[in-house]
Amino acid sequence: MGSNPADAPGAPPSGDPPPPTPRPSDPSQRDRHARVQERCGPVAIERHVKDDGRSLLLYTREAEQA
Amino acid sequence: VSELRYEELRGEQVAYAIHRQERTFLPTREHCPLDPTRPGGEQTEIPFPAFEIAVFDNRFPAFEAPHGAAEVVVYTDNHDGSLGTLAPERAEALMWVWRHRYMELGAREDVEYVFIFENRGVEVGVTLHHPHGQIYGYPFLPPIPARELAADERLGGCAPCKLLGDELADGRRVLIETDAIVAYVPYAARWAYEAHVIMREHRASLLDCEPGELRALASVLQTLVRGYDALFERPFPYVMAVHQAPTGGSCGERASAAAALPPARGGHLHIEFYPPLRTAEKLKYLAGSEQGAGTFISDTLPEESAAALREAIASAN
Repeated sequence: MGSNPADAPGAPPSGDPPPPTPRPSDPSQRDRHARVQERCGPVAIERHVKDDGRSLLLYTREAEQA
Repeated sequence: VSELRYEELRGEQVAYAIHRQERTFLPTREHCPLDPTRPGGEQTEIPFPAFEIAVFDNRFPAFEAPHGAAEVVVYTDNHDGSLGTLAPERAEALMWVWRHRYMELGAREDVEYVFIFENRGVEVGVTLHHPHGQIYGYPFLPPIPARELAADERLGGCAPCKLLGDELADGRRVLIETDAIVAYVPYAARWAYEAHVIMREHRASLLDCEPGELRALASVLQTLVRGYDALFERPFPYVMAVHQAPTGGSCGERASAAAALPPARGGHLHIEFYPPLRTAEKLKYLAGSEQGAGTFISDTLPEESAAALREAIASAN
């Protein structure tokens, strides 16, 4: 489970989503403007903003702990 | 920008999103917008050379802020495959992605109902073959979840809990049983191979589920989809609809009039599959009775469908 109390089982949806990441002026910086990673259970979340301003979220499952 | 018009005769909203006429329609594999962006290649919706699961605002939204949301959920960067062929760990991660989107979209004031769904196959109108689903954040409570809430009121408690109990007691239509999940063809199935996947415990939404329940849910969904594909030995088209509690102020505990049923909390997480095939080659169309009178006419008994599906599930898993 994630450490965020709002993410605990039974917790109601709460908290406004964070504001979108500022759009980079240089499109070549696209890969470098991810937010600090968030988590939801075993998945890490990276927030991006596409060139046209739309939101893009990338979810990556963390490797199983040995 | 979409426009909502209220249809007084049926008492329901109709959404007009005329920009969707221009959306990408069955592109060739080389031009799939849901593939990753390969170095030197055409830019896609995901400007990265690889990814696991991606969610982005629909370029052609039916709903958008400040009047709702429309998102695309890409299950994998592999163009081929399906929900059923994802690695189990990826399918489990998808459950967490759904949970996160439910939590985040459900917290928005302009979203009354978070609806996660997948359309699979051209038979149900798919325009992109890459494995993906969608999420709509409706700015109102749509008619079907509203009817489910009305069923709770009518039965004096959680209707899905009662129906699950009835199905387990009967047993003839049960497809899959685990400690956490049950899948069955419902007693009054509309579609020949309709199936419902439901949490055994009363869970209003994905947010109420324990990690083990999410893992089990992913596993049962994959088992069912693989069974569907084995039934007629072809990719099985369907609409998959995730039903959860509304998020627009209806999630609170509601008193139950009958102690025999768990109190309704505005929903019970379950996932409904509506496959349009009634045989390997024939589609069920929504025609006069279904569209004009609202009554489904089915050619297949749910008990017979369930027996065939159980056999297909066993052969595929």
